[in-house]
Amino acid sequence: MAQEIVMPKLGNTVESVIIVEWRKEVGDSIAVGEAICEVETDKATVEVEAEIAGTLLAKLYDVDDDVPVLIPFAIVGEAGEDVSGMLTSDTPASDASRLQSEAVPVQKSVPAAAASVVPDAPVSAGSSPTGISPRARNLASSSGLQGLPAGGTGPGGRIIERDILSALEGKAPLTPAAMAAGGTTPTQGSGIGGRVLAADMGTAPVSAAGTATVGDPSPAEFPGQVESFPVKGVRKLVAQRMHDSLAETAQLTLNASTAAASLLSWRAAYKASPEVFGLTKVSINDLIMFTVARLLPRYPDMNATFHGSEIKQYRHVHLGFAVDTPRGLMVPVIRFADQLSLSRLSAETRRLAGACRDGSINPDELSGGTFTITNLGSFGIESFTPVINTPEVAILGVNTIYNYPIETPEGGITIEKRMGLSLTIDHQAVDGAPGARFLKDLSTLLGNIELAAAL
Amino acid sequence: MNNEFDLIIVGGGPGGYNAAERAGHAGLKTLVVEKEVLGGVCLNRGCIPTKTLLAAAKHFHIAKDSAAFGVDAVDVTMDWSKASKRKVKTVRALVSGVKTKLKKNNVTVIQGEASFISASVVEVNGESYSAVKILIATGSKPFIPPIPGADSPAVLTSREILEIDHIPESLVVIGGGVIGLEFASLFSTLGSKVTIIEMLPEIVPSLDTDVAALLRQRLDKSVSFKLGARVEKIDGNTVSFSDSEGPGSISGEVILMSVGRRPVTGGMGLEDIGLNINRGAVVVDEHMRTNLPGVWAAGDCTGKSLLAHSAYRMGEVAVAGMLGKKDRMRYNAIPSVVYSLPEAAGVGLTEADAAKSGREVVVKKLPMQYSGRYLAEYGQEPGFGKIIVDAESKVLLGVHLVGGLCSEIIWGAAAMIEAEFRVDDIKEVIFPHPTVSEIIRETIWEF
Repeated sequence: MAQEIVMPKLGNTVESVIIVEWRKEVGDSIAVGEAICEVETDKATVEVEAEIAGTLLAKLYDVDDDVPVLIPFAIVGEAGEDVSGMLTSDTPASDASRLQSEAVPVQKSVPAAAASVVPDAPVSAGSSPTGISPRARNLASSSGLQGLPAGGTGPGGRIIERDILSALEGKAPLTPAAMAAGGTTPTQGSGIGGRVLAADMGTAPVSAAGTATVGDPSPAEFPGQVESFPVKGVRKLVAQRMHDSLAETAQLTLNASTAAASLLSWRAAYKASPEVFGLTKVSINDLIMFTVARLLPRYPDMNATFHGSEIKQYRHVHLGFAVDTPRGLMVPVIRFADQLSLSRLSAETRRLAGACRDGSINPDELSGGTFTITNLGSFGIESFTPVINTPEVAILGVNTIYNYPIETPEGGITIEKRMGLSLTIDHQAVDGAPGARFLKDLSTLLGNIELAAAL
Repeated sequence: MNNEFDLIIVGGGPGGYNAAERAGHAGLKTLVVEKEVLGGVCLNRGCIPTKTLLAAAKHFHIAKDSAAFGVDAVDVTMDWSKASKRKVKTVRALVSGVKTKLKKNNVTVIQGEASFISASVVEVNGESYSAVKILIATGSKPFIPPIPGADSPAVLTSREILEIDHIPESLVVIGGGVIGLEFASLFSTLGSKVTIIEMLPEIVPSLDTDVAALLRQRLDKSVSFKLGARVEKIDGNTVSFSDSEGPGSISGEVILMSVGRRPVTGGMGLEDIGLNINRGAVVVDEHMRTNLPGVWAAGDCTGKSLLAHSAYRMGEVAVAGMLGKKDRMRYNAIPSVVYSLPEAAGVGLTEADAAKSGREVVVKKLPMQYSGRYLAEYGQEPGFGKIIVDAESKVLLGVHLVGGLCSEIIWGAAAMIEAEFRVDDIKEVIFPHPTVSEIIRETIWEF
């Protein structure tokens, strides 16, 4: 019998998700654990996997739709089954009782994380499908919005965050004729006070500058075949974050290097250690992260976030690290990294990186960092300018290990292994000298890991 | 004196002084360059002086012709010099008002002719002034067509006729547009023998044809019309023309040349700085920007809509653009008014416009007597309200009125057109009773 699949709660703070891509089409058969669709939270994109097998009979939302969590978003059953009775005209979740009795929660890729959040499933969605989402209510009250919109764009007319946002946006009012004309509403019209006129409906927003909107480049500018891809999912998030970071901070990168012999010999020792201790997988990167996490509590101004009128310093280190995934850059965060032993930090790093790569990362683990490390050393990069993961105030870039000639006391030449470090600081919050002091101490510790181990 | 400004406005007429006020208020360090008197043609030689004189004519008419109201005045006379003095006083008061407002908004005003050195430097009286933003608001002047004898001393333009020291015994008006009509109305009311010669088959071609026809009919008692007549030459006080009946001529003590106005854009170096000028008018976009970055234009010099209230709005659109605000000039709801006796006022599409654009419309028209107030004050004097709406959407497209103080009403119709009101929306508007404005309400219920 056909069953509704509800959107899982993909993290404690996630109220709704946007469907980025349907992985299955209506009529496709679905196995347990297979991805039905890819969704985007405000922090990451995640695959939603099926917990029951069957055939996808109906999609209740389209790509780019904002779907509140714990609301049915698809119907799965046997091929050819009639689901028309389950499809209300425009309200996928209008029947609250059915939602509670028949809804089958699907698990996302991390069973442990999903299990902890699914039990409280019916709360927000079930009781009042035509009400207002908690996030929308919070936004409405915190922003002092006078009165709620008459109806929302969520299922069953439920008011969701974007309804409040558009109410707050001060969208230009429509003239009576424009309302009657219908069509898509531009945010800005060409009438008096920016009112949307009938002629504006269903058209692109009027350019205030009066300049032509930039269209696709003409073939003459870029001869040859061109492929274009929509910017969405992780790419969209990264694009937004990176642009915001460079636009809103005053970034300054300091470059230095450290002797790598200590790192290399410690790494070799762990690798050769007895299997029973579980230390064989400790990497140079783990050692660097461990050292940074131990040093940061001594530099509270580096372990901080900048909020314009306020700087917050943190007693503990929540260490983010950049992970290259097939879908783009992700930055998971190791909580209380300063409290972890090297082996636990190493294990946690591997767990988070793996979850990022296979798309099963819990979005809650992708935020809340106080400092970030990004390592391009394995690509032979000698120096770069890491982009700060705002609102953090610093990011450490780790470069390749290279051979460096030094003069011996005897006047000859010998080779030393050195590793480059590129520290970007937000000069709004941290000055150059404190940044340089931190980098100097870090170089010292990395050059002598036994010191870091004792901190 | 520091010669660097945020904004230099060339021209102190409605396009210029109003923009200066807005810019100054917004904190821009603003300079206005005016070659004659602040206020421009509107205040000094157009709107205001004509309205002052027309008010005199109206009082004269009411004093003389109010027997129907039970008022019998005897020996009603007109003292033209007194009316002219009142005109000068009114203009002076308004010019000083403009000066005060500009001063209040920290606008600097200098008198002199501006010549453009570059798109950011203007020379006045041998001194250079610079600004990153320039607003050209140089206005317009009466057009003298190349008719033989047009330089006859009897030929005056609106500018000179306003300074005339007596009521001419007879007046020939060449050009039956708004300006010609107002002077014809003025002097015919005061007893001049007036003839209007118009090249087109109907007067005031910019107005709805019903409006023009009724105005002509109302004025017909005191004004003769020669329509479809082409002026061939002027010989002293005699104007020779030819119409469908062949050649003719007519003489008048004064000949008013009122065939139109032309933008003033020459002789200031505007062409030399690379400004795009088309047929004498500064080319602007809907944000009043010219082809030169940092250079805007507003008012008659753009040739778009030669009306003071259009100039006000254009100047405001330009200043909004300078301040980075979104605004655009719309031309579909600019009211046009003829301050003749009776008045006519219209806004939006005329029936002829609609026919030309192929738009399907529905038109309703009611006599002004549907308004109780009109009947009480004007009795059976002909007048009407005419409303044009889109046939399909029922959106208001045009409102045209003749009679009463309809110039004071028409803004409401303009607002409704701007807001794209439909017939049913207007039906919800409450009009004060009893007023002449109710003719709009009465007519809308005809739909």
